[in-house]
Amino acid sequence: MRLIVSADTHLGSPIRSAALRNPALGDRLKQAGRDTFQAIVDLAIREKADALVLAGDIFDSDYPDLRSRAFLMTQLLRASGAGVPTVLIRGNHDALLDHGELGPDIHLLDRANPTIQIGNANFHGLSFEANHTTQSFLPDYPAPVTGKTNIGLMHTSLGGSPGHDPYAPCSKQDLLAHGYDLWCLGHIHLPSTHAAGDVLAVMPGIPQPRHFGERFGGSVAMVTLGDDAPELVMQSVGHLRFLETTLDLTHCADQSEVITLLANALRDAQDPDCDTALRVIVTTAQHTVDDLDALVAEQLYGIDRVYVDKIKTVLPKATVDGDPDDLMRFMCAALDEDGFRQAAAQVLSDLRGALPADVRDVLADENLNALLDDALVEVSQSLHGLDGA
Amino acid sequence: MRLNRLDLTRYGRFSDAQIVLPKPADRAPDVTIIYGPNEAGKSTTFNAFLELLFGMKARDHPYDFRFKRSDLLVGAELDIPGRGSVVLQRNSKKSQSLLDDQNRPVDESILTAALHGVGRDTYVERFSLNDEGLRQGGARIANAQGDLGQLLHAGVSGLTTMAATLDQMTTRADQFHKKGGRSTALKAGKDRLAEIAQALRIAGLTPDKERALLSAVEKAQTAFNTSQSLLVTAKLQATAGSAAQDWFDRSNQIETIDQQLANYPSGPDLPHGTAAQVAALCTTIREKSARAAEANEKIAALNATIAAQPIDPDIAKIAAAIADLDSLEIDGAPLMARAVTAASDLDKRVAALSDLNTQISQVLADLKTPNVAAASLSMTPSDLEALTQATQAVLTAQNMLVAAQDTVTSAKASAPSKPAAPQDSSQLQTAWAAWQSVADISVAQNAVTTETARLNDATATLPQGWDALIDAGLPARDTLAETAKSMLKCEADLTTAKAELNTRETALRLAQAKLRADAASPAAIDAAAAAQARRIRNEKWAAHRATFSRSSADAFEAAMFGDDDAQAGFVDGAEARGQLATTRREEAAAQAMRDEAKNHLENITAQFAALTARCADLATALGLDPETGPHAFLERHSALSGAAQIAAQLKNAKAEFALRNDMKNEAQDALSLAAKLVELDCSKDALPAAVQAAITLEDSVQRTWDQWVRTDSEITKLIEKSKQAALNCETAQRNFSALTAVLPLAGWDADKVMDALPHLRHLQALLHEQVQLTKRVRELENAIELMEGTAARISEYVAEPKGDAITQIDAARVLVTKANDQARDREKAAESLTAETRILNAAKLAKSIAQDELDMLFDGQGPDDQNSNARVSKLAERDNLRAQRREHDDARNKSRTASDPALFENELARLPDAGRAATLLQTVEEADVARLEARVGLSDAKREYQIAFDAADPSDLITEQATIIEELRSAAQRAAIARLGVLAAKSALRSLAAERRTTMLQDVENAFVTITAPSWASVDVWSESEGERLIGVQPDGTKVPVEQMSTGTMGQLYFALRVAGYHSFIRDLGPLPMILDDIMETFDDARARAALQLCESIGHSGQAVMFTHHAHLVDLARETIDGVNIVAMPN
Repeated sequence: MRLIVSADTHLGSPIRSAALRNPALGDRLKQAGRDTFQAIVDLAIREKADALVLAGDIFDSDYPDLRSRAFLMTQLLRASGAGVPTVLIRGNHDALLDHGELGPDIHLLDRANPTIQIGNANFHGLSFEANHTTQSFLPDYPAPVTGKTNIGLMHTSLGGSPGHDPYAPCSKQDLLAHGYDLWCLGHIHLPSTHAAGDVLAVMPGIPQPRHFGERFGGSVAMVTLGDDAPELVMQSVGHLRFLETTLDLTHCADQSEVITLLANALRDAQDPDCDTALRVIVTTAQHTVDDLDALVAEQLYGIDRVYVDKIKTVLPKATVDGDPDDLMRFMCAALDEDGFRQAAAQVLSDLRGALPADVRDVLADENLNALLDDALVEVSQSLHGLDGA
Repeated sequence: MRLNRLDLTRYGRFSDAQIVLPKPADRAPDVTIIYGPNEAGKSTTFNAFLELLFGMKARDHPYDFRFKRSDLLVGAELDIPGRGSVVLQRNSKKSQSLLDDQNRPVDESILTAALHGVGRDTYVERFSLNDEGLRQGGARIANAQGDLGQLLHAGVSGLTTMAATLDQMTTRADQFHKKGGRSTALKAGKDRLAEIAQALRIAGLTPDKERALLSAVEKAQTAFNTSQSLLVTAKLQATAGSAAQDWFDRSNQIETIDQQLANYPSGPDLPHGTAAQVAALCTTIREKSARAAEANEKIAALNATIAAQPIDPDIAKIAAAIADLDSLEIDGAPLMARAVTAASDLDKRVAALSDLNTQISQVLADLKTPNVAAASLSMTPSDLEALTQATQAVLTAQNMLVAAQDTVTSAKASAPSKPAAPQDSSQLQTAWAAWQSVADISVAQNAVTTETARLNDATATLPQGWDALIDAGLPARDTLAETAKSMLKCEADLTTAKAELNTRETALRLAQAKLRADAASPAAIDAAAAAQARRIRNEKWAAHRATFSRSSADAFEAAMFGDDDAQAGFVDGAEARGQLATTRREEAAAQAMRDEAKNHLENITAQFAALTARCADLATALGLDPETGPHAFLERHSALSGAAQIAAQLKNAKAEFALRNDMKNEAQDALSLAAKLVELDCSKDALPAAVQAAITLEDSVQRTWDQWVRTDSEITKLIEKSKQAALNCETAQRNFSALTAVLPLAGWDADKVMDALPHLRHLQALLHEQVQLTKRVRELENAIELMEGTAARISEYVAEPKGDAITQIDAARVLVTKANDQARDREKAAESLTAETRILNAAKLAKSIAQDELDMLFDGQGPDDQNSNARVSKLAERDNLRAQRREHDDARNKSRTASDPALFENELARLPDAGRAATLLQTVEEADVARLEARVGLSDAKREYQIAFDAADPSDLITEQATIIEELRSAAQRAAIARLGVLAAKSALRSLAAERRTTMLQDVENAFVTITAPSWASVDVWSESEGERLIGVQPDGTKVPVEQMSTGTMGQLYFALRVAGYHSFIRDLGPLPMILDDIMETFDDARARAALQLCESIGHSGQAVMFTHHAHLVDLARETIDGVNIVAMPN
């Protein structure tokens, strides 16, 4: 039995990257979530999968627009028309979504209908019914059916991670010991697998990463169940990947070497199969972000499918550790002065107040130290860069 | 650090060039002028110095045009504090590129410590200055608007774009957001986000909205359906009205046609084309009658022609006889053609045959076989050729046999006599070869000697018992290198830490003194002291109030005055208290930094002690004095390792020599045994020479024996060849005899047959010709006889004329020809007669058929009272009326059928009614308009739903919204960084001004006044709300803000700031060379002299190195600076 396992498609959630200011990329990726979902269905049909499994957070909200709903139904009916049934559950993002009447061979599992049989396999699943649940769902899952292949669908934060709220938490050990043969999981966007004996739990990850916090994923899981342990193959389906690279311009003697290194870094970031949003961390004592923006824009003309999201600069370690520059010394000293910190906090507060609410977090007070560090770097680079110009 | 000498070993155009910078005499300034013309390599030299200090450029090197980058090498002798004079070199390797004078890698920490952590860029910015930098610096610091912090920073760092940097960052922040700004990026982004939010709200397709739109669509659909139904009804009504009117009109026309048809014959309708058919049949009848009459006339004429040509019964027999004669041939030609000449030709052939027989007899005579029948010597050409070849083969084989026999005889006669056989010396030769391969052992012996000498050399400088050190095990080379490196670093760190401690202790002392001074100020009273004074005053007042005594009054008065002073001091002393608090913080900070520096020094000292102990252990392990420093470790380690390696090689060489000697002895024993086998017996020493002579002699005997064996073998081969030739000869003779045995040539040898062969060939040709000629004569005789027989048969039918056979035959031919011509005429007339008879019959038949068809066409169409054409015209008129009637009937029925029956009957009942059609048409038009309006309404409702549905896909807006938010996030971050950067920089510049003003301002003033004298007298500082501003003071007391100074003055101020900055650095960290590149080329002599004085001031505290290509500046320097060094650029 072959399954295509996906989760966290978050239909309706846009790509969030300044790289999309490129009109061609922006136009190409405005439907990236749907295009990726379509690719998942294509894969299921092409592989003649016995079922397509969607482990929650199919939509990004409880109230998706009609077109997104129509799109989902069109795709799932396309799969069922090709002989691929779909089994799905609701996650925390689309917990309150009323899917309405589903088509043939499309099965939503919840507490009223926790099990569906397809072939010799019983699929068990429980949907979120509220956006946040801190209780484990595992005790409510049906017992495994003897003589059948038992496959579980669960949307869970598993053991959780620091800084993140638990969502239907569940220990991996308990999960793997429940008696099912396979667990298809959702919620955590970083792909992972857990196994105990012949039991496999797969978290397929987000199939289309949406921002730089998701520099992973872009794939779905293809699981083959037989007499032995499940076989797992990850298949790429994402249309855009997020990549961060570092570059050291410290030893460049002239502009041509700088350009060569930049061009090489951009070329190294190329992936022929998908677009790449690139964040570049540049170590330099003499180039500002504006300088590098201009140079990179020039080089990108000859490099397809790479788009720069952001360039960040850092000072070389030798400069930080060894430069006895008075200015830097006094600037560092100022950072510890109360008066200066109050003035800096006021600057930050004034600017933050002018920002749209969605953006204000970037200038939160807790970011002040990091921003000041960057500010000192910026002054130093601008000063040395202009003098060297 | 001081630069004593720069070695341009392989760099740029220089090869093994040096620039020596002599140390100054006592108390003389350390100023060196390096003079060279333009393009002498000043830039190259400065770059070489920088690359020595900081390493060479990694990739494309600008100075590798003479030497490859990998071969570039620069060096220098430097005075480094704590180390003295050190020679260093730099190559272009990626690592370990810094070398000492012995080309050994040196740790970079030597230079790093000497440079106080200054990097290449910083060194260029702080410790070099050229004319362009001076001018640009002057122009740039004008933007500082006299800000003291910025100016002092420019002097210290050499960086002059602080104002531009701050402006640039402020502009960037303002471009993102500025209070009240109308065109900022933030406002544009927010506006667009608001638009998108509004669009998303409008575009959002809620379920209620969707239901309303769907309801509107359904309502419009109902309205459209109703209007559609009304239109259909109106159209049906109109159709029925039109059909009824048509029925009414056509029925009237049918009645009129029926009245006209009563005047025509009744009969059926004529088939289509009947008129044309009748006309054609009438024409056919007329034509066929004329053709029958013509045929009758031709038949009569042909019968007359046949009767005039009778048939001769004998002509057939004559023709048969002539045909037989014509069919006969002779020599491939008809007999008759040859019969005329046959008689004379026969005579010639008979004479030729007789001549041929005579020639044959002559040939037989030549062969000397007159009694032999010619036929017995007759041979086919192939037989004759076989005889020729066999005869030739016999003669050839006989000649070869004779030649082979002659060769054998000759070889036997010249062969040498058989020599004595040689002895078997193979074992001796094998032993000799083995001996030769091992006889020379001098190479191994020399190797032992060489390695012994090398070992002596290698161990000459090593202590006794060096081999025991090696046996005990040497420390790892990496350990030694690491220890040396650690020691170097530790020493540098120790020096730095000591200097740091000194600096910090000085700073602490200064801070403590300042604290004491600030604390002693009356205005520095703090709130506690003021409160204490108030409390004392109150106590004294309470005491005085209780007693009102003089003493209590005095005490209260004193307390009151004390309190007044304290309160006044507290009120006026806010600034002093702030200053005291600052001074206390600075003192505490200085204390902490001193303590930290002290702890650091103690740590370093402890590390140094541990490393020293470690070095002592390593020195002992290397056989060095324990006090020896790590710089000697690697050299000793190399010496010991080398000695150990050579000792091992010597051991190997000795073993090789012993092995070679043993092999030589074994080979000599084997040679002796082999010599005895060939009875060669002599002493051991003489044996090699005796064996070599014996082998040489044996070689000569062997060569003679081999020559005889080869000759004998050749003779044997020749005898074999002779025998083979004899066999070949016998075979050829047998073939020859077999061929001659069947001919009357028995007993003839090959030579005789060879002579007879030409005659035999002639005889064979004659006999062939004889046979052909005899056959020809016989054929001629037969032809003459046949012709004469035929002529006799013809004469039985043809009486005249009589004569020879040919004449009679020709007459018979004339008769036959005439009879044939008559027969042809008769046959032609008969054929024509048959054809005309057939034409006559056909014409009669066609006429009869046409008449029958004409009768059938008019069958049943009334009386035959007119000619056919007139009759058919009348019937056609009748049929036309009938067709019109049918057309009207069909049309009215069709209209009726297409309409609703009830409606039709209703409309028909209304007729005749002239206005009915217009009424129905108007009803239809009104229904059509109503339906069109309903359809537009339906389309609008559907379109509105579709627009709402399509707008419900706001992916592009959501994506744009997310992108704008990300852009604003990034831009806000950058704007905040820019604003915070400006804030931090300005704060730092204020602190820098506060810290440096006391130490640098005097230097700035001195330098500025020196270089601008007598235009400026001093500098001063104005305090303003934004900070302190530097101003220039002219001799008359006029104060001029910096930004109002001339461009030239600004450049001079910048130079003064740099000089002050240099002095400041030296005071803090120690001297480094200051490189000045023709900074005075645009100065007049007075200014140049002043600038040289500033160089002199640099030379008094550090080292000034100035490049110039102006000779007059060199002279000026000599005049201005006592003890200045003038050095020429190397060629």
